[in-house]
Amino acid sequence: MRTIIGILLTCDPAVKQILLSMNEKHSFIIEDLDDHHLVIKADEEYRVRKELEAELEKNTYSLE
Amino acid sequence: MPVAQPYVYAENSTTVETPHALLPFLQSQSQSTLTRLYQRPSSCLSIFRLLAPLERQLVMNLLWLESAIQPSTMGAWVIREGKKIYEEALTNLSRLHILPNPTAKLALNGTFKTSFRQALTGGGTSGSFGVPAEPDDKRATPDIEALDGYALERWETILHYMVSSGTGQHPTKPSQGVLFLLDRSGLMGSFHGSPLQITSAGFQFLLHTPHEQLWDLLLQYLHLAEERQMDLVEVLGFLFMLSTMELGREYSTENLSGTQKAMLEDLRDYGLIWQRRPSSRRFSPTRLSTTLTSSSPPLPTSTGTSSGPQEGFIVLETNYRIYAYTDNPLQTAVLNLFVSLKYRFPNLVVGSITRDSVKKALMNGISADQIISYLITHAHPQMRKNNPLLPVTVQDQIRLWELEKNRLKSQEGYLYTAFASQADYKFVLDYAKELDVVLWENSSKRCFFCSLDGHTNIKGFIERRTMVANP
Repeated sequence: MRTIIGILLTCDPAVKQILLSMNEKHSFIIEDLDDHHLVIKADEEYRVRKELEAELEKNTYSLE
Repeated sequence: MPVAQPYVYAENSTTVETPHALLPFLQSQSQSTLTRLYQRPSSCLSIFRLLAPLERQLVMNLLWLESAIQPSTMGAWVIREGKKIYEEALTNLSRLHILPNPTAKLALNGTFKTSFRQALTGGGTSGSFGVPAEPDDKRATPDIEALDGYALERWETILHYMVSSGTGQHPTKPSQGVLFLLDRSGLMGSFHGSPLQITSAGFQFLLHTPHEQLWDLLLQYLHLAEERQMDLVEVLGFLFMLSTMELGREYSTENLSGTQKAMLEDLRDYGLIWQRRPSSRRFSPTRLSTTLTSSSPPLPTSTGTSSGPQEGFIVLETNYRIYAYTDNPLQTAVLNLFVSLKYRFPNLVVGSITRDSVKKALMNGISADQIISYLITHAHPQMRKNNPLLPVTVQDQIRLWELEKNRLKSQEGYLYTAFASQADYKFVLDYAKELDVVLWENSSKRCFFCSLDGHTNIKGFIERRTMVANP
């Protein structure tokens, strides 16, 4: 038996795909659990959140 | 026609009346504190006014009975559907020690009964409703308009200070006592010695109704009073006394205890009472204090003062545009929390709800439901003709923006994996489940994820097991 410390991310499948592609550039995923869950390195959470937000922000348009 | 709630996660806002914020605090007090409080007729009357209608009904039924009655006698009145509400009412009353031991016999607390009877019929010389000051021929008593203006100015100073902290503006500072209370209550906080900044709890506070805000602050004051070793009975008794006083009348400070005289200064800062001079031997309650336990609005309704209209002033259109008929800087500042403002006219502010403005509000800890409920409470009378009141598109979009922010949920913990056998896996998992620390599991992969604080327990459990297996 093994234990790994990490952070469990719960998300929708679309966000998971974005995370997977982010992982190719800079690896941070420890374990891919299922469609909605991932375990990532604990110290990467802040960076991942920032990067994900920037990625999602690309898909929104504002009239202003 | 009622519109179906389109999203399951949007919590259904039921219209069940929530108990008054003070009641849980009273229920947490000891029996002796409460009994001492019940010696004051004004406190009994005020608490009675805070109770739910059914509880009031029960108290009234028992008030003039000399002897106790059997629970079954009262129970015969209750229809089956009402049983649960009835039992709840009994429990609430017993927690307040108004109705001690409701399962054995129904009778009011003796002290409460005597005092409340006195409150209703008059008599007694306890002066618990305040002692009016002798009329002074030289100085006229302050008129109601002046008192309202004073209360409003004080109250809005506090709110305005909160709302504009961190925006670079420097509005008038409330007194040290108020600042201390805001800091202690967590509505504002200072980070690394910086000046006080509004917190997420503070933002939520701003969207409450004035009555709720007032009690929020007073509850904090009560907690503080407990820490300062002030006598709670004196403090509560004084607040209740104020709440039964008459607006526009002057009362004498001579019958007040030392604690209560000390409170005068604090309450003056909050705008609950008015005094000509700090050393004056008379004081007048303002509308903020006389409405503490009633349902009338705590701030003046007349539009003659500097404040904006009290009934609704917001018009929201389906195209996310918002028109706010107000010239009140406080209301404008509150709107600025979640609206991007465009134009300003002498009596009108125009803006629109955008993704960015709502996102900013969400970042500050305001929830979508709070924004929506603020818009509903302050909707312009013209809007009330619409059903539903707010355009559904806008409501839904605000909720969607909130969901967008929560697309990623993270929990720290440990992943347990690579178990030798299914039996081992099941054994550890069952133990973790018992502790209720499992966040995710998958039996075909033989792994599970447990929360951080569960880990030590599970580790200890496994070690104990291996010790037993291989001594």
